Amino acid sequence: MPNLLEVRDLSKRFSSGGGPFRKARSMHAVNGVSFDLPEGRVIGVVGESGCGKSTLARLILRLIEPSSGAVAFDGDDLLAKTPAQMRKLRARMQMVFQDPYSAIDPRYTLTRAVAEPFEVQGVKPARPMAEEVAELLEMVGLNPGLASSYPHQISGGQKQRVGIARALALRPSLLVLDEPTASLDVSVQAQIIGLLEDLRTELGLTYLFISHDLSLVKYFCDEILVMYLGRVVEALPDTAAPARHPYTRTLMESTFEPDPKKRRLIAPLEGEVPSPFDLPPGCAFADRCPQASALCRTETPALSSETGHAVACHHPL
Amino acid sequence: MLSVRDLGVAFGAVEPLSGVSFSVDKGETIGIVGESGSGKSLTAMSVMGLLPLIGGRITGGTIVFDGQDLTKLPERAYRKLRGGKIGLITQNPMTSLDPLKKIGPQVDDVARLHLGMNANEARARTEEILGTLRIPEPALICDRYPHQMSGGMKQRIVIAMALAADPDVLIADEPTTALDVTVQAQIIRLLDDLVKQRDLALVLITHDMSVVAQTCDKVVVMYAGRAVEYGPVEAIFDRPRHPYTQALIACIPRGLDDTARLTGIEGTVPTVINYPKGCPFHPRCPRAEAICATDPPTFSVEGDSAAACHFAEVAHAQPA
Ligand SMILES: Nc1ncnc2c1ncn2[C@@H]1O[C@H](COP(=O)(O)OP(=O)(O)OP(=O)(O)O)[C@@H](O)[C@H]1O
Ligand SMILES: Nc1ncnc2c1ncn2[C@@H]1O[C@H](COP(=O)(O)OP(=O)(O)OP(=O)(O)O)[C@@H](O)[C@H]1O
Ligand code: SF4
Ligand code: SF4
Ligand SMILES: [Mg+2]
Ligand SMILES: [Mg+2]
Repeated sequence: MPNLLEVRDLSKRFSSGGGPFRKARSMHAVNGVSFDLPEGRVIGVVGESGCGKSTLARLILRLIEPSSGAVAFDGDDLLAKTPAQMRKLRARMQMVFQDPYSAIDPRYTLTRAVAEPFEVQGVKPARPMAEEVAELLEMVGLNPGLASSYPHQISGGQKQRVGIARALALRPSLLVLDEPTASLDVSVQAQIIGLLEDLRTELGLTYLFISHDLSLVKYFCDEILVMYLGRVVEALPDTAAPARHPYTRTLMESTFEPDPKKRRLIAPLEGEVPSPFDLPPGCAFADRCPQASALCRTETPALSSETGHAVACHHPL
Repeated sequence: MLSVRDLGVAFGAVEPLSGVSFSVDKGETIGIVGESGSGKSLTAMSVMGLLPLIGGRITGGTIVFDGQDLTKLPERAYRKLRGGKIGLITQNPMTSLDPLKKIGPQVDDVARLHLGMNANEARARTEEILGTLRIPEPALICDRYPHQMSGGMKQRIVIAMALAADPDVLIADEPTTALDVTVQAQIIRLLDDLVKQRDLALVLITHDMSVVAQTCDKVVVMYAGRAVEYGPVEAIFDRPRHPYTQALIACIPRGLDDTARLTGIEGTVPTVINYPKGCPFHPRCPRAEAICATDPPTFSVEGDSAAACHFAEVAHAQPA
C-alpha cells in the first residue's frame, strides 16, 4: 500500500517564561519524529502525559506550525500549501478529540454540529442536508431521531459519536484520533472502539490512534510508536513484538493484565521523569534506566532500524 | 477489621446507594470496582463519616470497625478515628495537602495530633516513613512545598500522612487514576508492601479491573449504587456469575487476544435520578426477562461468592 502519510524529522519547540526578569526557556515538545503511515493501516502512538502525543497530532494536521521537518499527505508536501489549499486538504484529514464536551458547541443541535464541516468547507452534500445528517448519525450508531437534541441532552459516549460523525462528514481518508475514549467509561469505550473498527473496514479509513493506554493500543493498532519526552524511542512493527527499548519494557511491565493469575512483579523504578525544559544531555531515560552506561549520559541514541524494528537505545534489549 | 452491612445513603429524597456490603481483614486488600457514578466514592465517604459534610445521611445498615458501629458514632469520636485508625487517600492529592505549607510540618502534624508526639519525635517519624516509601532524601523533601513535586510524589506524601497515624484500615479512592502508568505501578507496589508489612486492611476503590486483578484478594462489583457481585478475586475473574461483571470483563481490551472483539455494553450507566426499578442492570442486560424489570434480585450465594441476579445459577452454567 502507498503511504498516505509521511512524517520526516518533525519538531516543535515551545518557549515560555520569557519576561523582564526571567530568561525565556524553550523545550522540544516533539523532537525529530519520522514515520510512514501506509493507506489502510492503523498506527498507535503511546506514551505518558506530556510526551508530545497531542502536539504531534496537531503538527500532522498543521493546526500548529512545526519548528522544522516535513509532512507529506498522499504525496503532497503539506507545509508548502497556502491556507486556502490547506483548508481543502483538511477535508481529507480529520481529527477526533479526547474531550467530547468541548468538541461540540453547546448551543448547536446535533444536526447543526454534524452539518458544520460542510459550512466551513463551503461544500454542499450531494443530497439534502437533513438526509446527509441522518445517514452520518446512523453511520456512528446514533438514532437520527436525536438530530434535534442539544449536547447536554445526550451522554458522553453519544457526544463522542457525534464527534466522529463530524469528522466523517466530508469523507476523509485519514482520521487522527487523540485519546478518543479517555474520558469515557469502559463499557462505552468498548462501544466506541467497536464502532471505529467497523468504520475502518466499511470506509477503508486510515487511523493514527493516540493513547496512553498500551493495552488499548495493542488491541486496536497494527504498529505502535512509543514516545518519551518528545521523541519516538521505539517503533514496534506489530503488537506482539517484544520491547527492545528499556522504557517500552517499563511501560509493558506497568500495564496490568485483567487476570489475577498473571500478576506482574513490579520492579522498583528509580528517578523521576526529567523536566522537559532542562533535558540532560544523552538519553532522556538514563536516570530511570537500569541499563544506562556512561555513553548514555553523553550521546543521544538515534532511532535505528536495521532489523525492521526501530529502537533508539545504545544497549537495546 | 472493617465490616459494612447493607449500607444505604440518601440525599433528601434521592437514594444513590443501597444494599452495599463488604468486609476486609488485616493484611487483606479488597477492591471496590465500578463505572462512574456507581457509588464507590459515596461508600468511602460513608465509612469516613463525611456524609454530613456534603448533605447526605445514612439510611440503613451498619459500618462496624473494631467492634463498634460507626453509624452511631458521635462526630467528636469520629474526628479521632478519621485520619487516625482509618486513613483516606483520594484521587487528587491536593485535596489532602495544604499548598502553602511545607511537606515536613504537614506530615508531622498527623503524628502530633493522633499519637501525641512532640515536634522532634514527629519529625523523626515523618522522615522514617518517607524513607520506607522510597522517597529519596526525606530531610530535603520535608523542606519543599507541594507545588515543587510531581503528581506521583505528592500522592506518596498523602500516603505518608495516612501512615503517620499508624492506621489499621486504609481507604484509597482511585489513588492512581490521575497518574501515569509507570507511576501507578510504583504506587500499587508500595500499597501492596504496606498491606503485607504493616498488616493493613486496604480498601482499594477503582474503575480499572486490571488494577483489581493485580492487587486485590477480594472484589465487590458495584452498579447503579448497589453491590451486584462479590467474592474472591480469582472467582470473580474466572467464573463471574453476574451478567454485568461478565460484560465488564469483556470490555477490557486484551493486547494480544485479537479474536475477541470489543462490543461494549449497550446503553449507558444510569444516573441517580433514573436508577431503573427491579434489577438496576435490566435495561442493558442481554439476559433480562420480565421479572428483572419489576423485582430486585437477591444475592445467590455460592461458596464465598455471591451475585445479585435472578438467573445467577443459569448464568454460571452458560458463561457469556
Ligand atoms: N501551546 C503550548 N505552549 C507551551 N507548551 C506546550 C504547548 N502545548 C503543549 N506544550 C507542552 O508540550 C509538551 C507535550 O504536550 P502534549 O500535550 O503534546 O503531550 P501529550 O503527550 O498529549 O500529553 P497528555 O497525555 O497529557 O495529553 C508538554 O510538556 C506541554 O506542556
Ligand atoms: N452530594 C451529592 N448529592 C446528590 N447525589 C450525589 C452526591 N454525591 C454523589 N451523588 C450521586 O451518587 C452517585 C454515586 O456517586 P459516587 O461519587 O459515589 O460515584 P463513583 O462510583 O465514585 O463514581 P466515579 O468513578 O465517577 O468517581 C452518583 O449518581 C452521584 O450523582
Ligand atoms: S540509551 Fe542507555 S539510558 Fe537510554 S534507554 Fe538505552 S540503555 Fe537506557
Ligand atoms: S437480574 Fe435480570 S437484568 Fe439483572 S443481571 Fe440478572 S438477568 Fe440481568
Ligand atoms: Mg494529549
Ligand atoms: Mg468516585
